[in-house]
Amino acid sequence: MNGPTVAARPTRPRPGARTWVIVGVLITYTVFAGRQVGFDISTFWNVWSNPLWEKFWPVPWDWVLDWHNVLDPLLETFQIAVVATLVGCGLALPLAFIMSPLTSPNRPTMIVSRSVMNVVRAVPDLFWAKLLVTAVGIGAFAGSWALSVFSLAVMVKLFSETVDGADPRPLEAARATGGRHLPVIRTGVLPTVLPEYVAYGLYVFELNIRASVVLGLVGAGGIGRVIEAQRQYFRFDRVLGILLLVFVVVIVIEQVSVAVRKRLV
Amino acid sequence: MATGPTTGTDGRPAAPTGTARRRLAMGALLVLAVGWSITGLEVTVDRLLGAPGDAWDIFRRMFPPAFAEAAERGVVGKVFESVHIAWIGTLIGALASLPLAFLAAGNVAPAWVRVPVRQLFNVIRAVPELILAMILIPITGLGPWAGALAIGVHSIGTLGKWATEAIEGIDEGPLEAVAATGGRWASSMRWGVLPQILPVVTSQWLFRFEINVRASAVLGMIGAGGVGSELVSQLVFRNFPAVGAVLLMTIVVVLAIDTVSAAVRRRIIRGAGRAPGDVVGGDRNAAVLVDLTGIGR
Repeated sequence: MNGPTVAARPTRPRPGARTWVIVGVLITYTVFAGRQVGFDISTFWNVWSNPLWEKFWPVPWDWVLDWHNVLDPLLETFQIAVVATLVGCGLALPLAFIMSPLTSPNRPTMIVSRSVMNVVRAVPDLFWAKLLVTAVGIGAFAGSWALSVFSLAVMVKLFSETVDGADPRPLEAARATGGRHLPVIRTGVLPTVLPEYVAYGLYVFELNIRASVVLGLVGAGGIGRVIEAQRQYFRFDRVLGILLLVFVVVIVIEQVSVAVRKRLV
Repeated sequence: MATGPTTGTDGRPAAPTGTARRRLAMGALLVLAVGWSITGLEVTVDRLLGAPGDAWDIFRRMFPPAFAEAAERGVVGKVFESVHIAWIGTLIGALASLPLAFLAAGNVAPAWVRVPVRQLFNVIRAVPELILAMILIPITGLGPWAGALAIGVHSIGTLGKWATEAIEGIDEGPLEAVAATGGRWASSMRWGVLPQILPVVTSQWLFRFEINVRASAVLGMIGAGGVGSELVSQLVFRNFPAVGAVLLMTIVVVLAIDTVSAAVRRRIIRGAGRAPGDVVGGDRNAAVLVDLTGIGR
Protein backbone atom coordinates (compact mmCIF):
# COMPACT_ATOMS: atom_id res chain seq x y z
CA MET A 1 0.00 0.00 0.00
CA ASN A 2 1.59 3.24 -1.10
CA GLY A 3 0.31 6.46 -2.62
CA PRO A 4 -1.27 9.23 -0.59
CA THR A 5 -0.89 8.50 3.07
CA VAL A 6 -4.33 7.81 4.29
CA ALA A 7 -3.93 6.61 7.82
CA ALA A 8 -5.66 3.30 8.31
CA ARG A 9 -8.63 3.66 10.58
CA PRO A 10 -7.73 2.22 13.95
CA THR A 11 -9.67 -0.95 14.66
CA ARG A 12 -12.46 -0.51 17.08
CA PRO A 13 -11.78 -2.18 20.41
CA ARG A 14 -14.02 -5.20 20.86
CA PRO A 15 -15.42 -6.04 24.25
CA GLY A 16 -13.66 -9.03 25.75
CA ALA A 17 -15.13 -12.37 26.78
CA ARG A 18 -15.46 -11.23 30.39
CA THR A 19 -17.67 -8.31 29.37
CA TRP A 20 -20.00 -10.65 27.51
CA VAL A 21 -20.19 -12.96 30.50
CA ILE A 22 -21.08 -10.04 32.80
CA VAL A 23 -23.67 -8.71 30.35
CA GLY A 24 -25.13 -12.20 29.96
CA VAL A 25 -25.39 -12.72 33.70
CA LEU A 26 -27.03 -9.33 34.20
CA ILE A 27 -29.57 -9.89 31.43
CA THR A 28 -30.38 -13.37 32.73
CA TYR A 29 -30.85 -12.04 36.23
CA THR A 30 -33.01 -9.18 35.00
CA VAL A 31 -35.30 -11.54 33.09
CA PHE A 32 -35.49 -13.85 36.10
CA ALA A 33 -36.18 -10.99 38.54
CA GLY A 34 -38.74 -9.55 36.14
CA ARG A 35 -40.66 -12.83 36.12
CA GLN A 36 -40.39 -13.08 39.90
CA VAL A 37 -41.94 -9.67 40.49
CA GLY A 38 -44.60 -10.24 37.85
CA PHE A 39 -43.39 -7.58 35.41
CA ASP A 40 -46.41 -6.52 33.41
CA ILE A 41 -45.94 -3.87 30.77
CA SER A 42 -49.69 -3.32 30.40
CA THR A 43 -49.68 -1.54 33.76
CA PHE A 44 -48.04 1.42 32.07
CA TRP A 45 -51.14 2.18 30.02
CA ASN A 46 -53.61 0.79 32.53
CA VAL A 47 -52.30 3.39 34.94
CA TRP A 48 -54.46 5.99 33.19
CA SER A 49 -57.63 3.97 33.65
CA ASN A 50 -57.09 3.66 37.39
CA PRO A 51 -60.50 4.21 38.98
CA LEU A 52 -58.69 5.93 41.84
CA TRP A 53 -57.61 8.99 39.90
CA GLU A 54 -60.97 10.74 40.06
CA LYS A 55 -60.92 10.34 43.83
CA PHE A 56 -57.89 12.64 43.95
CA TRP A 57 -59.70 15.79 42.89
CA PRO A 58 -60.78 18.36 43.97
CA VAL A 59 -58.57 18.89 46.99
CA PRO A 60 -60.69 19.90 50.02
CA TRP A 61 -58.46 22.77 51.11
CA ASP A 62 -60.63 23.85 54.02
CA TRP A 63 -60.27 20.36 55.48
CA VAL A 64 -56.53 20.18 54.77
CA LEU A 65 -55.73 23.60 56.22
CA ASP A 66 -57.67 22.88 59.38
CA TRP A 67 -55.63 23.11 62.55
CA HIS A 68 -56.96 19.99 64.16
CA ASN A 69 -57.03 17.75 61.07
CA VAL A 70 -53.65 18.32 59.51
CA LEU A 71 -51.60 21.18 60.91
CA ASP A 72 -51.35 19.76 64.39
CA PRO A 73 -50.07 16.35 63.25
CA LEU A 74 -47.73 18.17 60.85
CA LEU A 75 -46.33 20.07 63.82
CA GLU A 76 -45.90 16.75 65.59
CA THR A 77 -43.91 15.54 62.57
CA PHE A 78 -41.61 18.51 63.07
CA GLN A 79 -41.24 17.85 66.74
CA ILE A 80 -40.28 14.25 66.01
CA ALA A 81 -37.75 15.41 63.44
CA VAL A 82 -36.21 18.04 65.74
CA VAL A 83 -35.80 15.70 68.69
CA ALA A 84 -34.56 12.84 66.52
CA THR A 85 -32.02 15.06 64.76
CA LEU A 86 -30.64 16.37 68.03
CA VAL A 87 -30.49 13.00 69.77
CA GLY A 88 -29.09 11.22 66.71
CA CYS A 89 -26.52 13.88 65.86
CA GLY A 90 -25.58 14.34 69.52
CA LEU A 91 -24.77 10.66 69.90
CA ALA A 92 -23.07 10.61 66.52
CA LEU A 93 -20.41 13.12 67.57
CA PRO A 94 -18.57 10.91 70.10
CA LEU A 95 -19.32 7.76 68.09
CA ALA A 96 -17.79 9.16 64.93
CA PHE A 97 -14.60 9.99 66.82
CA ILE A 98 -14.51 6.48 68.23
CA MET A 99 -15.00 5.01 64.76
CA SER A 100 -12.35 6.94 62.90
CA PRO A 101 -8.85 5.43 62.89
CA LEU A 102 -7.44 8.93 63.36
CA THR A 103 -9.12 9.59 66.69
CA SER A 104 -10.18 6.19 68.00
CA PRO A 105 -9.03 5.40 71.55
CA ASN A 106 -8.04 1.87 70.54
CA ARG A 107 -8.48 -0.60 67.71
CA PRO A 108 -10.95 -3.05 69.29
CA THR A 109 -13.38 -0.25 70.22
CA MET A 110 -13.14 1.08 66.70
CA ILE A 111 -13.82 -2.27 65.05
CA VAL A 112 -16.71 -3.11 67.36
CA SER A 113 -18.39 0.28 66.95
CA ARG A 114 -17.95 0.14 63.17
CA SER A 115 -19.55 -3.27 62.90
CA VAL A 116 -22.43 -2.30 65.18
CA MET A 117 -23.13 0.81 63.12
CA ASN A 118 -22.99 -1.17 59.87
CA VAL A 119 -25.62 -3.53 61.22
CA VAL A 120 -27.77 -0.66 62.48
CA ARG A 121 -27.62 0.95 59.06
CA ALA A 122 -28.54 -2.28 57.32
CA VAL A 123 -31.96 -2.34 59.01
CA PRO A 124 -34.42 -0.23 56.97
CA ASP A 125 -35.78 2.84 58.81
CA LEU A 126 -39.39 1.69 58.98
CA PHE A 127 -38.29 -1.67 60.39
CA TRP A 128 -36.83 0.29 63.29
CA ALA A 129 -40.07 2.21 63.62
CA LYS A 130 -42.16 -0.96 63.63
CA LEU A 131 -39.90 -2.63 66.20
CA LEU A 132 -39.96 0.38 68.49
CA VAL A 133 -43.69 0.81 68.14
CA THR A 134 -43.99 -2.78 69.34
CA ALA A 135 -41.60 -2.04 72.19
CA VAL A 136 -42.81 1.30 73.57
CA GLY A 137 -46.31 1.60 72.16
CA ILE A 138 -47.97 3.45 69.28
CA GLY A 139 -47.35 7.16 68.99
CA ALA A 140 -44.88 9.94 68.38
CA PHE A 141 -42.67 8.73 71.21
CA ALA A 142 -41.79 5.54 69.33
CA GLY A 143 -41.41 7.57 66.15
CA SER A 144 -38.84 9.89 67.65
CA TRP A 145 -36.92 6.88 68.95
CA ALA A 146 -36.91 5.20 65.57
CA LEU A 147 -35.89 8.35 63.78
CA SER A 148 -33.13 8.97 66.33
CA VAL A 149 -31.64 5.58 65.50
CA PHE A 150 -31.94 6.35 61.79
CA SER A 151 -30.32 9.80 62.18
CA LEU A 152 -27.54 8.30 64.23
CA ALA A 153 -26.79 5.76 61.52
CA VAL A 154 -26.73 8.29 58.69
CA MET A 155 -24.89 10.96 60.66
CA VAL A 156 -22.19 8.59 61.87
CA LYS A 157 -21.61 7.43 58.31
CA LEU A 158 -21.30 10.96 56.95
CA PHE A 159 -19.39 12.50 59.81
CA SER A 160 -16.89 9.71 60.46
CA GLU A 161 -15.81 10.07 56.83
CA THR A 162 -15.11 13.73 57.58
CA VAL A 163 -13.10 12.84 60.66
CA ASP A 164 -11.16 10.25 58.63
CA GLY A 165 -10.19 12.98 56.22
CA ALA A 166 -9.34 15.62 58.84
CA ASP A 167 -5.91 17.20 58.81
CA PRO A 168 -3.77 15.06 61.18
CA ARG A 169 -1.21 17.79 61.89
CA PRO A 170 -3.09 19.78 64.58
CA LEU A 171 -3.76 16.42 66.22
CA GLU A 172 -0.06 15.59 66.23
CA ALA A 173 0.73 19.01 67.65
CA ALA A 174 -1.77 18.55 70.45
CA ARG A 175 -0.42 15.07 71.18
CA ALA A 176 3.12 16.43 71.23
CA THR A 177 2.19 18.77 74.05
CA GLY A 178 1.35 15.69 76.12
CA GLY A 179 -2.41 16.16 76.07
CA ARG A 180 -4.68 13.32 77.02
CA HIS A 181 -7.03 11.71 74.53
CA LEU A 182 -10.16 13.81 74.97
CA PRO A 183 -8.52 17.26 75.19
CA VAL A 184 -6.40 16.34 72.18
CA ILE A 185 -9.49 15.59 70.10
CA ARG A 186 -11.27 18.63 71.47
CA THR A 187 -8.51 21.03 70.41
CA GLY A 188 -6.87 19.14 67.55
CA VAL A 189 -9.75 17.77 65.48
CA LEU A 190 -13.07 19.17 66.62
CA PRO A 191 -12.53 22.76 65.43
CA THR A 192 -11.59 21.60 61.92
CA VAL A 193 -14.61 19.33 61.49
CA LEU A 194 -17.27 21.32 63.33
CA PRO A 195 -18.60 23.25 60.31
CA GLU A 196 -19.16 20.02 58.40
CA TYR A 197 -20.77 18.49 61.45
CA VAL A 198 -23.34 21.25 61.56
CA ALA A 199 -23.87 21.04 57.80
CA TYR A 200 -24.49 17.29 57.93
CA GLY A 201 -26.76 17.82 60.92
CA LEU A 202 -28.92 20.13 58.83
CA TYR A 203 -28.95 17.61 56.02
CA VAL A 204 -30.05 14.88 58.44
CA PHE A 205 -32.82 17.21 59.59
CA GLU A 206 -34.07 17.44 56.00
CA LEU A 207 -33.98 13.66 55.70
CA ASN A 208 -35.86 13.33 58.97
CA ILE A 209 -38.64 15.64 57.85
CA ARG A 210 -39.08 13.48 54.75
CA ALA A 211 -38.83 10.25 56.71
CA SER A 212 -41.18 11.29 59.50
CA VAL A 213 -43.92 11.73 56.90
CA VAL A 214 -44.07 7.96 56.43
CA LEU A 215 -43.42 7.01 60.05
CA GLY A 216 -47.11 7.35 60.82
CA LEU A 217 -47.91 4.56 58.36
CA VAL A 218 -46.59 2.05 60.90
CA GLY A 219 -48.13 3.82 63.87
CA ALA A 220 -45.22 5.98 64.86
CA GLY A 221 -47.02 9.31 64.97
CA GLY A 222 -46.86 12.47 62.89
CA ILE A 223 -48.63 13.39 59.68
CA GLY A 224 -48.33 9.84 58.32
CA ARG A 225 -50.96 8.77 60.84
CA VAL A 226 -53.47 11.08 59.15
CA ILE A 227 -52.43 9.95 55.67
CA GLU A 228 -52.91 6.32 56.65
CA ALA A 229 -56.33 6.98 58.17
CA GLN A 230 -57.58 8.93 55.14
CA ARG A 231 -56.23 6.29 52.79
CA GLN A 232 -58.22 3.64 54.57
CA TYR A 233 -61.36 5.72 53.99
CA PHE A 234 -60.27 6.11 50.32
CA ARG A 235 -60.22 9.88 50.78
CA PHE A 236 -57.41 10.31 48.29
CA ASP A 237 -58.36 13.94 47.74
CA ARG A 238 -57.41 14.62 51.33
CA VAL A 239 -54.25 12.53 50.96
CA LEU A 240 -53.27 14.60 47.93
CA GLY A 241 -53.94 17.82 49.84
CA ILE A 242 -51.73 16.69 52.72
CA LEU A 243 -49.01 15.60 50.31
CA LEU A 244 -49.06 18.97 48.54
CA LEU A 245 -48.82 20.80 51.85
CA VAL A 246 -45.95 18.60 53.01
CA PHE A 247 -44.24 19.09 49.66
CA VAL A 248 -44.32 22.87 50.03
CA VAL A 249 -43.04 22.70 53.61
CA VAL A 250 -40.25 20.28 52.71
CA ILE A 251 -39.15 22.47 49.80
CA VAL A 252 -39.04 25.58 51.99
CA ILE A 253 -37.01 23.82 54.70
CA GLU A 254 -34.68 22.38 52.10
CA GLN A 255 -34.04 25.79 50.53
CA VAL A 256 -33.21 27.34 53.90
CA SER A 257 -31.07 24.40 54.93
CA VAL A 258 -29.15 24.31 51.63
CA ALA A 259 -28.48 28.04 51.90
CA VAL A 260 -27.16 27.69 55.45
CA ARG A 261 -25.07 24.67 54.49
CA LYS A 262 -23.48 26.50 51.57
CA ARG A 263 -22.41 29.23 53.96
CA LEU A 264 -21.02 26.75 56.46
CA VAL A 265 -18.83 24.58 54.27
CA MET B 1 -14.50 47.60 65.13
CA ALA B 2 -11.22 46.09 66.27
CA THR B 3 -8.23 46.77 64.08
CA GLY B 4 -5.55 44.11 64.16
CA PRO B 5 -5.18 41.41 66.79
CA THR B 6 -5.60 42.73 70.28
CA THR B 7 -3.13 41.26 72.72
CA GLY B 8 -3.95 40.27 76.26
CA THR B 9 -1.72 40.86 79.24
CA ASP B 10 0.07 37.50 78.98
CA GLY B 11 0.90 37.96 75.31
CA ARG B 12 -1.75 35.56 74.08
CA PRO B 13 -4.11 36.84 71.43
CA ALA B 14 -7.47 37.68 72.96
CA ALA B 15 -10.37 35.39 72.17
CA PRO B 16 -12.50 36.73 69.33
CA THR B 17 -15.31 38.89 70.68
CA GLY B 18 -18.92 38.00 70.19
CA THR B 19 -18.32 34.26 69.92
CA ALA B 20 -19.47 33.57 73.44
CA ARG B 21 -22.66 35.55 72.97
CA ARG B 22 -23.38 33.85 69.65
CA ARG B 23 -22.78 30.44 71.20
CA LEU B 24 -25.12 31.29 74.04
CA ALA B 25 -27.80 32.38 71.56
CA MET B 26 -27.40 29.20 69.50
CA GLY B 27 -27.51 27.07 72.63
CA ALA B 28 -30.64 28.82 73.88
CA LEU B 29 -32.27 28.33 70.48
CA LEU B 30 -31.49 24.61 70.52
CA VAL B 31 -32.79 24.19 74.06
CA LEU B 32 -35.97 26.05 73.14
CA ALA B 33 -36.46 23.92 70.03
CA VAL B 34 -36.03 20.70 71.97
CA GLY B 35 -38.24 21.89 74.80
CA TRP B 36 -41.01 22.82 72.39
CA SER B 37 -40.63 19.53 70.52
CA ILE B 38 -40.74 17.35 73.58
CA THR B 39 -44.07 18.87 74.61
CA GLY B 40 -45.66 17.23 71.58
CA LEU B 41 -44.27 13.75 72.05
CA GLU B 42 -46.29 12.54 75.03
CA VAL B 43 -43.11 12.08 77.00
CA THR B 44 -43.43 11.25 80.66
CA VAL B 45 -40.57 10.53 82.98
CA ASP B 46 -41.40 6.88 83.48
CA ARG B 47 -41.91 6.38 79.73
CA LEU B 48 -38.53 7.92 79.10
CA LEU B 49 -36.88 5.78 81.74
CA GLY B 50 -38.82 2.67 80.76
CA ALA B 51 -38.23 2.85 77.01
CA PRO B 52 -34.67 1.52 76.88
CA GLY B 53 -35.76 -1.38 79.07
CA ASP B 54 -38.75 -2.14 76.83
CA ALA B 55 -36.60 -2.01 73.70
CA TRP B 56 -33.95 -4.21 75.28
CA ASP B 57 -36.59 -6.68 76.39
CA ILE B 58 -37.85 -7.17 72.83
CA PHE B 59 -34.32 -7.40 71.54
CA ARG B 60 -33.50 -10.08 74.10
CA ARG B 61 -36.56 -12.13 73.28
CA MET B 62 -35.42 -12.33 69.65
CA PHE B 63 -32.62 -14.65 70.71
CA PRO B 64 -32.12 -17.33 69.73
CA PRO B 65 -33.60 -16.51 66.30
CA ALA B 66 -35.95 -19.19 64.97
CA PHE B 67 -34.27 -19.75 61.62
CA ALA B 68 -35.90 -23.12 61.00
CA GLU B 69 -39.39 -21.71 61.49
CA ALA B 70 -38.63 -18.69 59.34
CA ALA B 71 -37.16 -20.84 56.57
CA GLU B 72 -40.25 -23.03 56.64
CA ARG B 73 -42.41 -19.96 56.09
CA GLY B 74 -40.34 -19.09 53.03
CA VAL B 75 -38.63 -16.00 54.47
CA VAL B 76 -35.50 -16.68 52.41
CA GLY B 77 -37.57 -16.43 49.24
CA LYS B 78 -39.16 -13.22 50.54
CA VAL B 79 -35.80 -11.61 51.21
CA PHE B 80 -34.72 -12.40 47.67
CA GLU B 81 -38.04 -11.15 46.38
CA SER B 82 -37.12 -7.80 47.95
CA VAL B 83 -33.84 -7.87 46.04
CA HIS B 84 -35.65 -8.67 42.77
CA ILE B 85 -38.08 -5.81 43.38
CA ALA B 86 -35.20 -3.42 44.05
CA TRP B 87 -33.38 -4.56 40.90
CA ILE B 88 -36.36 -4.20 38.58
CA GLY B 89 -37.34 -0.93 40.24
CA THR B 90 -33.83 0.48 39.84
CA LEU B 91 -33.80 -0.54 36.16
CA ILE B 92 -37.14 1.15 35.52
CA GLY B 93 -35.90 4.27 37.28
CA ALA B 94 -32.58 4.19 35.44
CA LEU B 95 -34.07 3.74 31.97
CA ALA B 96 -36.65 6.46 32.52
CA SER B 97 -34.34 8.95 34.22
CA LEU B 98 -31.40 8.89 31.79
CA PRO B 99 -33.18 10.49 28.79
CA LEU B 100 -34.93 12.93 31.13
CA ALA B 101 -31.61 13.96 32.65
CA PHE B 102 -30.41 15.14 29.21
CA LEU B 103 -33.46 17.39 29.05
CA ALA B 104 -32.77 18.77 32.53
CA ALA B 105 -29.07 19.62 32.26
CA GLY B 106 -28.26 23.30 31.98
CA ASN B 107 -25.45 22.92 29.45
CA VAL B 108 -27.30 20.82 26.87
CA ALA B 109 -30.99 21.71 27.18
CA PRO B 110 -32.82 25.02 26.67
CA ALA B 111 -34.47 26.62 29.68
CA TRP B 112 -38.05 25.99 28.58
CA VAL B 113 -37.44 22.22 28.63
CA ARG B 114 -35.10 22.23 31.60
CA VAL B 115 -37.30 23.93 34.16
CA PRO B 116 -40.36 21.66 33.88
CA VAL B 117 -38.25 18.48 33.83
CA ARG B 118 -36.41 19.59 36.96
CA GLN B 119 -39.65 20.37 38.71
CA LEU B 120 -40.85 16.91 37.72
CA PHE B 121 -37.80 15.40 39.45
CA ASN B 122 -38.52 17.47 42.57
CA VAL B 123 -42.16 16.45 42.70
CA ILE B 124 -41.30 12.77 42.26
CA ARG B 125 -38.67 12.93 44.99
CA ALA B 126 -41.16 14.45 47.37
CA VAL B 127 -43.59 11.53 47.16
CA PRO B 128 -42.35 8.60 49.26
CA GLU B 129 -42.32 5.09 47.75
CA LEU B 130 -44.86 3.96 50.30
CA ILE B 131 -47.42 6.50 49.13
CA LEU B 132 -46.75 5.60 45.49
CA ALA B 133 -47.24 1.93 46.30
CA MET B 134 -50.56 2.70 47.97
CA ILE B 135 -51.75 4.46 44.84
CA LEU B 136 -50.48 1.67 42.58
CA ILE B 137 -51.84 -1.29 44.50
CA PRO B 138 -55.42 -0.82 43.20
CA ILE B 139 -54.12 -1.14 39.62
CA THR B 140 -51.56 -3.88 40.00
CA GLY B 141 -53.06 -5.76 42.91
CA LEU B 142 -51.15 -6.61 46.05
CA GLY B 143 -47.76 -8.02 45.26
CA PRO B 144 -44.22 -7.35 44.19
CA TRP B 145 -45.08 -5.61 40.93
CA ALA B 146 -46.65 -2.70 42.82
CA GLY B 147 -43.47 -2.40 44.86
CA ALA B 148 -41.19 -2.56 41.83
CA LEU B 149 -43.19 0.14 40.05
CA ALA B 150 -43.30 2.38 43.11
CA ILE B 151 -39.56 2.09 43.55
CA GLY B 152 -39.03 2.63 39.84
CA VAL B 153 -41.06 5.83 39.76
CA HIS B 154 -39.51 7.19 42.94
CA SER B 155 -36.00 6.40 41.70
CA ILE B 156 -36.59 8.55 38.61
CA GLY B 157 -36.46 11.61 40.88
CA THR B 158 -33.11 11.02 42.55
CA LEU B 159 -31.44 9.26 39.63
CA GLY B 160 -32.55 12.03 37.30
CA LYS B 161 -31.20 14.69 39.63
CA TRP B 162 -27.86 12.94 40.06
CA ALA B 163 -27.49 12.25 36.33
CA THR B 164 -28.32 15.89 35.57
CA GLU B 165 -25.51 16.96 37.85
CA ALA B 166 -23.16 14.50 36.14
CA ILE B 167 -24.05 15.95 32.73
CA GLU B 168 -23.57 19.49 33.96
CA GLY B 169 -20.08 18.59 35.16
CA ILE B 170 -18.75 17.29 31.84
CA ASP B 171 -15.86 18.55 29.79
CA GLU B 172 -17.40 20.61 26.98
CA GLY B 173 -14.61 19.81 24.49
CA PRO B 174 -16.17 16.68 22.98
CA LEU B 175 -19.45 18.58 22.55
CA GLU B 176 -17.64 21.21 20.47
CA ALA B 177 -15.88 18.49 18.50
CA VAL B 178 -19.18 16.87 17.55
CA ALA B 179 -20.65 20.26 16.68
CA ALA B 180 -17.59 20.96 14.49
CA THR B 181 -18.25 17.83 12.45
CA GLY B 182 -21.80 19.02 11.88
CA GLY B 183 -23.46 16.61 14.28
CA ARG B 184 -27.01 17.14 15.42
CA TRP B 185 -28.14 17.45 19.03
CA ALA B 186 -28.79 13.72 19.37
CA SER B 187 -25.33 12.80 18.05
CA SER B 188 -23.61 15.25 20.34
CA MET B 189 -25.43 13.72 23.27
CA ARG B 190 -24.56 10.19 22.18
CA TRP B 191 -20.89 10.82 21.34
CA GLY B 192 -20.07 13.97 23.29
CA VAL B 193 -21.86 13.45 26.60
CA LEU B 194 -22.82 9.83 27.13
CA PRO B 195 -19.30 8.33 27.15
CA GLN B 196 -18.24 10.91 29.74
CA ILE B 197 -21.08 10.37 32.16
CA LEU B 198 -21.62 6.64 31.80
CA PRO B 199 -19.23 5.49 34.57
CA VAL B 200 -20.59 8.02 37.06
CA VAL B 201 -24.19 7.31 36.14
CA THR B 202 -23.70 3.54 36.38
CA SER B 203 -22.30 3.90 39.86
CA GLN B 204 -25.23 6.14 40.78
CA TRP B 205 -27.58 3.38 39.62
CA LEU B 206 -25.76 0.88 41.79
CA PHE B 207 -25.91 3.20 44.77
CA ARG B 208 -29.62 3.70 44.22
CA PHE B 209 -29.95 -0.09 44.04
CA GLU B 210 -28.45 -0.34 47.53
CA ILE B 211 -30.98 2.20 48.81
CA ASN B 212 -33.80 0.44 46.97
CA VAL B 213 -33.09 -2.91 48.60
CA ARG B 214 -33.90 -1.30 51.93
CA ALA B 215 -36.88 0.53 50.47
CA SER B 216 -38.35 -2.63 48.97
CA ALA B 217 -38.00 -4.43 52.29
CA VAL B 218 -40.09 -1.65 53.82
CA LEU B 219 -42.66 -1.78 51.02
CA GLY B 220 -43.58 -5.31 52.06
CA MET B 221 -45.06 -3.79 55.20
CA ILE B 222 -48.02 -2.50 53.22
CA GLY B 223 -48.29 -5.59 51.04
CA ALA B 224 -46.18 -4.61 48.06
CA GLY B 225 -44.08 -7.78 48.08
CA GLY B 226 -40.88 -8.71 49.84
CA VAL B 227 -39.73 -9.35 53.35
CA GLY B 228 -41.58 -6.53 55.13
CA SER B 229 -44.86 -8.46 55.29
CA GLU B 230 -43.12 -11.25 57.21
CA LEU B 231 -41.74 -8.81 59.76
CA VAL B 232 -45.15 -7.25 60.31
CA SER B 233 -47.02 -10.53 60.66
CA GLN B 234 -44.46 -12.02 63.05
CA LEU B 235 -44.57 -8.85 65.14
CA VAL B 236 -48.37 -9.00 65.25
CA PHE B 237 -48.14 -12.53 66.65
CA ARG B 238 -45.36 -11.32 68.97
CA ASN B 239 -43.34 -14.26 67.72
CA PHE B 240 -40.02 -12.59 68.54
CA PRO B 241 -37.62 -15.44 67.69
CA ALA B 242 -39.06 -15.47 64.17
CA VAL B 243 -38.76 -11.65 64.04
CA GLY B 244 -35.12 -12.03 64.98
CA ALA B 245 -34.59 -14.51 62.15
CA VAL B 246 -36.30 -12.24 59.61
CA LEU B 247 -34.22 -9.27 60.75
CA LEU B 248 -30.95 -11.17 60.66
CA MET B 249 -31.61 -12.54 57.18
CA THR B 250 -32.46 -9.06 55.94
CA ILE B 251 -29.34 -7.60 57.52
CA VAL B 252 -27.09 -10.26 55.99
CA VAL B 253 -28.50 -9.79 52.50
CA VAL B 254 -28.44 -5.99 52.74
CA LEU B 255 -24.84 -5.97 53.99
CA ALA B 256 -23.75 -8.42 51.30
CA ILE B 257 -25.31 -6.31 48.56
CA ASP B 258 -23.84 -3.11 50.01
CA THR B 259 -20.37 -4.62 50.08
CA VAL B 260 -20.45 -6.05 46.56
CA SER B 261 -22.07 -2.96 45.10
CA ALA B 262 -19.59 -0.62 46.80
CA ALA B 263 -16.70 -2.69 45.42
CA VAL B 264 -18.15 -2.57 41.91
CA ARG B 265 -18.76 1.16 42.18
CA ARG B 266 -15.18 1.71 43.29
CA ARG B 267 -13.96 -0.36 40.36
CA ILE B 268 -16.12 1.59 37.91
CA ILE B 269 -15.08 5.02 39.14
CA ARG B 270 -11.40 4.45 39.85
CA GLY B 271 -10.55 1.66 37.44
CA ALA B 272 -8.54 -1.45 38.19
CA GLY B 273 -5.19 -1.70 39.87
CA ARG B 274 -5.55 0.65 42.83
CA ALA B 275 -5.96 -0.33 46.39
CA PRO B 276 -9.37 0.43 47.85
CA GLY B 277 -9.63 3.44 50.13
CA ASP B 278 -6.64 5.26 48.69
CA VAL B 279 -8.40 8.50 47.93
CA VAL B 280 -7.46 10.98 50.60
CA GLY B 281 -8.96 14.00 52.21
CA GLY B 282 -11.45 16.30 50.60
CA ASP B 283 -12.11 14.17 47.53
CA ARG B 284 -13.45 11.38 49.62
CA ASN B 285 -15.76 13.56 51.69
CA ALA B 286 -17.08 15.23 48.61
CA ALA B 287 -17.69 11.82 47.05
CA VAL B 288 -19.60 10.59 50.06
CA LEU B 289 -21.69 13.73 50.23
CA VAL B 290 -22.49 13.51 46.54
CA ASP B 291 -23.22 9.83 46.99
CA LEU B 292 -25.70 10.31 49.73
CA THR B 293 -27.22 13.62 48.90
CA GLY B 294 -26.75 14.29 45.24
CA ILE B 295 -26.09 17.87 46.27
CA GLY B 296 -22.89 18.35 44.32
CA ARG B 297 -19.61 19.82 45.39
